[in-house]
Order: sequence, then C-alpha cells, then structure tokens
Amino acid sequence: MLQIEEVEFAYGGSQAVAGCSFDVPDRKVTGLIGPNGAGKSTLMEIIAGGLTPSSGRIVFDGTEIQGLGRIRVARLGIIRTFQTPRELTRLPVMENLVFAAPNQIGERPLQSLFRRGRWAAQERELRLKAESLLEWVGLTKLREEPAGSLSGGQRRLLEIARAMMAEPKLLLLDEPSAGVFPAVRKLIAERIREMVERGITVLVVAHNMAFLSDVADDVVVMAQGKVLRRGTLSEVRADESVVAAYLGGGHVGGTS
Amino acid sequence: MLYFIADLLALGAINAIMAVGLNLQYGQAGILNFTYYTFVAIGAYVGAVTTMGHPPVPASEETFILQWSLPWPVALLLAGVVAGVLGLFMVLVVIRRLRSDYLAIVTVSLGFIVWDLITNYVPLFNGANGLFNVPYILNGATASEITYTLEVFGVAMVVLAVCVWVVRSIFRSPYGRVLRAIREDDVVAASFGKATTSSRVWAFVLGCVMAGLAGALLVFYVNAWNPQGFLAEESFILMAAIVIGGPGNYWGAVLGTFVFVELLSEIERYLPNFGNGALVGAGRAVLIGIVLIVVIRFRPDGLIPERWLRWYRVPAGGGQGGPAGFQSPGAPRRRLGWPRVGQRGEI
Amino acid sequence: MNQLAEAVGFGLVDAAVIALAAVGLSLQVSVTNFINFAYGDFMSFGAYVTYAANAAGLNFFPSVAVGAAGTGLLGVVSNWVVFRPLMRRKSRTLILLICTVGLSFIVQNVIVMIWGPNAEHYSVTVGNALHLGPFLFTPGDLILIGVAFTLLLALHLFMQNTKFGTALRATSNNDDLAQACGIDTGRVVMWTWAISGMLCAVAGVGLALETNSLRPTTGFNELFVVFGAIILGGIGRVYGAMLGALVIGILTEISAMFISPVYSGALAFTVVIVVLLLRPQGLLPGRGRSA
Repeated sequence: MLQIEEVEFAYGGSQAVAGCSFDVPDRKVTGLIGPNGAGKSTLMEIIAGGLTPSSGRIVFDGTEIQGLGRIRVARLGIIRTFQTPRELTRLPVMENLVFAAPNQIGERPLQSLFRRGRWAAQERELRLKAESLLEWVGLTKLREEPAGSLSGGQRRLLEIARAMMAEPKLLLLDEPSAGVFPAVRKLIAERIREMVERGITVLVVAHNMAFLSDVADDVVVMAQGKVLRRGTLSEVRADESVVAAYLGGGHVGGTS
Repeated sequence: MLYFIADLLALGAINAIMAVGLNLQYGQAGILNFTYYTFVAIGAYVGAVTTMGHPPVPASEETFILQWSLPWPVALLLAGVVAGVLGLFMVLVVIRRLRSDYLAIVTVSLGFIVWDLITNYVPLFNGANGLFNVPYILNGATASEITYTLEVFGVAMVVLAVCVWVVRSIFRSPYGRVLRAIREDDVVAASFGKATTSSRVWAFVLGCVMAGLAGALLVFYVNAWNPQGFLAEESFILMAAIVIGGPGNYWGAVLGTFVFVELLSEIERYLPNFGNGALVGAGRAVLIGIVLIVVIRFRPDGLIPERWLRWYRVPAGGGQGGPAGFQSPGAPRRRLGWPRVGQRGEI
Repeated sequence: MNQLAEAVGFGLVDAAVIALAAVGLSLQVSVTNFINFAYGDFMSFGAYVTYAANAAGLNFFPSVAVGAAGTGLLGVVSNWVVFRPLMRRKSRTLILLICTVGLSFIVQNVIVMIWGPNAEHYSVTVGNALHLGPFLFTPGDLILIGVAFTLLLALHLFMQNTKFGTALRATSNNDDLAQACGIDTGRVVMWTWAISGMLCAVAGVGLALETNSLRPTTGFNELFVVFGAIILGGIGRVYGAMLGALVIGILTEISAMFISPVYSGALAFTVVIVVLLLRPQGLLPGRGRSA
C-alpha cells in the first residue's frame, strides 16, 4: 500500500528523519512508536504532504507522492487526523463531518450557484451517511453543537468519524488515544479495527501500549529518525535495543 | 424630510451591496481586505469615465479619457468586471503565501499605491480633482431630485437583490462550507483535499465585483468622482460595521453597515455644530472605534452571530435513503463503555 | 555624486527615526505576535504630548521625556483594556488586528479632538545646515541620530545584560515555555508595551522635527514605512528592523533623485510587497528570532 524509502528530512540543522524506510501493508494496522523526538510526527507530516523530504521516496499505490502537497495527497485517498484535534471550532459537528466528504459537486463556486438540484441531492445522501457515522461514534446528540464545545475525547471521536467521511484508502492517525479516558480509548480502538475490516489501511502513532496491543497488527519502532525494529508488539517490547532507545533516548547500534 | 429618507434609502442600498461583498471576503472566506474601498473607487471611476461623453461644459478644464458615452447598464457591468479583474490580479499575487496579518499589510499598501497613482497621474484620472458632471442615469437629467434619488434606490435594490442571492446561495452551499472550513483552519481544509486557494480567490473576486458595482452606482448617484472620497478610512468603517453586525452572516453585515456607515454620517449633519467642524467627525470615528472594541470584547461573533441562521435547507423528499448509510459490521448501537453520551465536558 | 551623498545623509536621518519606531514595533510584535496598526498613532500621540509639555513651558528634552512616558502609559493601558482580555481568550490574529485598527481610529481622533486637525510646530530651532564631509546635516539632525543611536544601544545592552531582558527574549521565543519556567509573562508583556511606546514617542518627535510639522495623521502616514522596515528585517526581529530601517530610509531618499517624490511612497510599498512575496522571512538569513 505505502512504501517509505530512505526518507530524509532536516529541521533547522538537526536531522529529524534520517533515512527511514518501511512498508505499510494493505488492510492492516501498522503502529509507529518511538521515544519523543524520534521523528514520528515529522514522518506523518511528510506522508500527508505537509512537508517535502530532502531525499527519498514515498510510494502510494504505485505512485510517488512525496512533495505533492496536502491537497493532492488527500485526493489520492490519504486522510489524517491531528496530534491535537483540529476540528472546525465554530462549525457544528454535523458540518464538520459533511465537509470532509470528497468530490462534492457544490464545492465549485459556479456549480454551487447554478447546479443547485445536483448538489442538493448529493448533500442529502452525505447527510444520511454523516448521521450514521455520528451514531457510530456516539455523537448523535451533539449534532448541532459547535465542534469547539466538545470535550477532548469527543473531539478524538469526531476526528475519526470525519476521517471516515472522507472515504480514505490509507488513514494516518496521530495519537488518537492521547488524553482520553480508558473507556473511550477502548471505543476508539474498536472503531479502528472496524475500519480495517472495511478495507482501510491504517498507520497509527501512539504511545499507549495497551491501546497499541488492541489495534496494531504490527509495530515499527523509530529512534533518531531511523527505523530501529519492526515486529509484533510483544516481539518489539522484548527487544533490548528498543528498551535502550526508550530509556536512554539515544545511541543504539543496530538498525533494521 | 422626505428627501432625507430617500437619500438614506439610496445610500443604504448602495452601502449594503458593499457590505454583502466585503462580508463574503471577510465573514465567509476570512480574508482581511483593508482596502475594499479601493475597489469601490475603481468601480466608480470606470462607471464614470465610460458613461461620460464630450465635456458637457465646454469651458471646463476637465481632462479625461475614453469619452465613450456608454449606456449606463453596460458601464455598470464593466465597472464590476474591471474591479473583479483587478481583485483577481491582487489576490493571485498575495494569497498563496501570506498569513492573514501580512495580507492585511499588503492590501493596505496596494490601496495606497493605487491611491498615489490616481491622485498624481493627472492625464488618466484628473489627479486629486476627480471627475465632475458624470451623466445622470435614466431620466435623471430632467427629473426632480427626489424622483432621481428613488430611481437610484430602485436600481440599487435590484443589484443588491442579485448580490444577496449570490451570497446566500454560496452561504448555504457546500462551497460556502469549504470557505468557512478554510476560515477556521486552512490546514485541515487542505488535509481533506479541498481547493483552498481557488475557493478563496473566487470569494475575493466576487466580493470585488460587488464593490465595483456599488462604486458605479454611487458615482451615478452623486455625479462626481473624487479620490478623496475613497480613503483607507472608509474601508475600515465598512469593516468595523461588518464586525459589529456579525461577520458570519449577511444580515448582520447589512444591519451593521446601515447603522454605522449611514446613520452616523447622517446624524453628523444634523448635530448642532459645537466646537470646530472637525470635532464631530473625530467624535464619530472615536465612537466607532470604541463600539468596535467593546463588541469584539463582549460579543466576539457580532450582534447577529452566524449560528442564528440555518445554513442548509436541503429540500426533503425523494424517499431514497438507504444505500449511502454507513453501517459497521458490528453492532453500532451498542455503546460500549461509553460514558454519558451527550454531556459536555465530561470525557 | 555630491547629490547622492546628500541623499544618503538625509536617508540616515530618516533611518534613525524609522529605526526607533521599527525596533519598538518589532519588540512588541515579537512578544505579542500580532501587528499593531495603532502604532503610528502612538507616534503622533507621543509627539503631541511632547508638544503640549513644551508649550506649557517645559524645556524641550524634558518634554520629550514626558511624551515618552505618556505614550508608554498609553501602550500599557491599551494592552490592559483591549488586548490582554482578548489574548487570554486566545482570539485569532484577525480579530486582534481589527482591534488595533479600531484603537488607531480612537487615538488619532482623540488627538484631533484635543489639539485640532491643523499642523503644529515645535518651538525649537534645528540650526543651520552644515557640511560634514560629503553630507549635509543640521545640528538637529545630528542630535536626532545621536539620540536614536544611544537609545538603541541602551536597549541592546538592556536586553542582553539584565534579567528582564532575558525574560523578554524567552517570552518572545515561546511564551508558554517561558511561563512554565516561572517567568511572569503578563508583566513582560506589560513592560514591552511600555518600552515600545516610549521608543515610538521619541520616533514621533523625531518625525515631527524632521518634517517640521505635526499633524494628527503624521504618525499614521509613517506607519507603512515602519512596516516596510520590519518586513524587510523579518517581522518580530529587532536587529533586522534596524537594518530594514536603514535600507528603507536611504532607498526612499535616493529614489527621490530619479523619480518624482510624490511616488516615493508608492515605491516604498512596492519594495515591501516584493520582499514580502519573495522572502517573507525578511532579508536576514535564518529563522531564529533575535530579540
């Protein structure tokens, strides 16, 4: 699905991502972990098109996508959530969802004026779909509330529903379980598994090991901008070099 | 008194066109354009210079170009088009790279450049003196003052109706939603594949077209064009009116404009002339500034907030539900350990 | 050649005034993270307070001190009344920007209400112009340059060597972090408004002296030149602002030799826009802010 090949990126002198390569297999949840400053978020940003790597390739479904920019990457079907939820604060929850749907006819200025019938029909369908997604994440009652008034956990759920609304092929989740209660975390994990059953590929950055063991098929460990280890969560946790990287935050010999 | 009301109505309708246009730019698309009046001025200039024929007063020292004597509806449309094209040019230069505050500086700077050119380049614009004897439209040359005022009011209302229709349609359409999404967070909008640049460019250009139309109507009404009437200050008063009225919706904008641009300037005429003449104008400006800051402080969404209007009125019916509904393979209605759905601030 | 040197000389005087204002504004922008459209009117306000103190019988230099103190106070008060509540609410830059324009309206027109719309003059003589090498300066010009240089040097030493200066630089880099480190950022912001107000008052006085007239719009009209300087230097970068001031000052004076001076404003704006489009981070290399 997604191949990351020797990606490098430097931030003001320091090498945030230093020759990082791994695959994200189709219809699987791949976890991305590593100590703070390992380059996980930077890598996510690069995949999402927000940053252009200084070298290396990112191949999605056979096309190179590095440096395409957010918009074109999103249109290829790569949708992301944000480390701190970024809902559209003053828009109601419902609008936050419907907005995300791709290929809306009424989004073009002229079509919005002169093709009312066509976009109105599409809009009805999108609202039904949004309605069922709201139910899926348990936010139905908050439909008309401005998204800015939601709590942290509700925002995470809204982000997941919004990402689903966009009909992604590959979903990039950045810390979807950070700062929420265990019960909500379980719910989020369950929803992510359901997405995979629907044929979506997921790459998820997370710190919480319980959460990862619930969702991830496979884990990639990053340290110092490189891939340190790859395997199932239990394999990885047993690996000494990974433990050392977490404890020392630093210099570990072998990369894989 | 009757004339006073008619004058108020005519100017009110023209100002409302500007308000609707600026509101599309600021309220919907979130583009801070501090030089909106420059586009009004351009529209006014085009409207004036294309309708003017040979100098009606042979002895006048006016110098101006074209002398096309176009019929006024054509001139009106031309004014809108020219303002729109210049808006397009300006927005294409700046919008891609700039943060909102840089954009504000650039718009003001561009406004000053245009103003500098207009006041100093005499052959084309007749410098700071402006243009006089712009032809009346309709039967204005023969009609009484009050009839003419009402006629202009009528024309302005038609133009206003078209502009409101456009803005309202955008407001309620998915395009309006994309604009609001960009306004809230352009990174999110881009992350969902929305055309952030072209959406904003369109909104900006449409707003400028409306400015041009309003400018042309204004010049038809007052029959003269003078760069002194189009200072940065006017742009700001208009902007203040919109922020006070409620930037998220067009009624707030129209209301704000009517109260602040209209009434305040009219009242000024009828106030007893205490102190020196400048005092009243200054007092008005201070008042506008204070009201603006107080409103932003205590009612940040303006007097009529966005939420008061329903965005979508998608007609019901058709009876085709089903296929688009998203059902997860599990049991979606089971709320697994989900504490207190619907309560805010708990989770 | 001689003409060119003279133009450079005039440019230096311009630059001294612009630099004071640009550094003051840059300081404020670096800490508060929004651009202040009322800054030009703060300049006028300082110049008018100085004028009033001078007219009331005070000597000129003490009057300038009064004007500076008054404008510093104005900055602190407007922060307290207008901006602090909005900053606490995490208002968007757009809203703060509009508020600064509202403030500009208020200050400018309060000046009109108090002192009237007509031009005033300081009752000081700047002395006869004298040649200094290739340059042509009046003693007033020299004093102006000297004062500007001294103030900026003092500011530099203050920023580098005092505890408060360190706190200020920390706040401008990252105010959340600074707060977490126990810096009272509210107090830093307040003093920033005070210092930037004082600098801009002196700049306003210099401007009025240089053009030999003081109107309520004097400061506002100069504002965009000041913007030009801080954009050239990179917004929020204090030393960059000094460089930008020098470039803008000399550029406008030299350009006046070749094209009609009525277009020199337009030229300055054009330069600003081009720089903003090509190098939005300013002329100096690097992204880091210096304070």
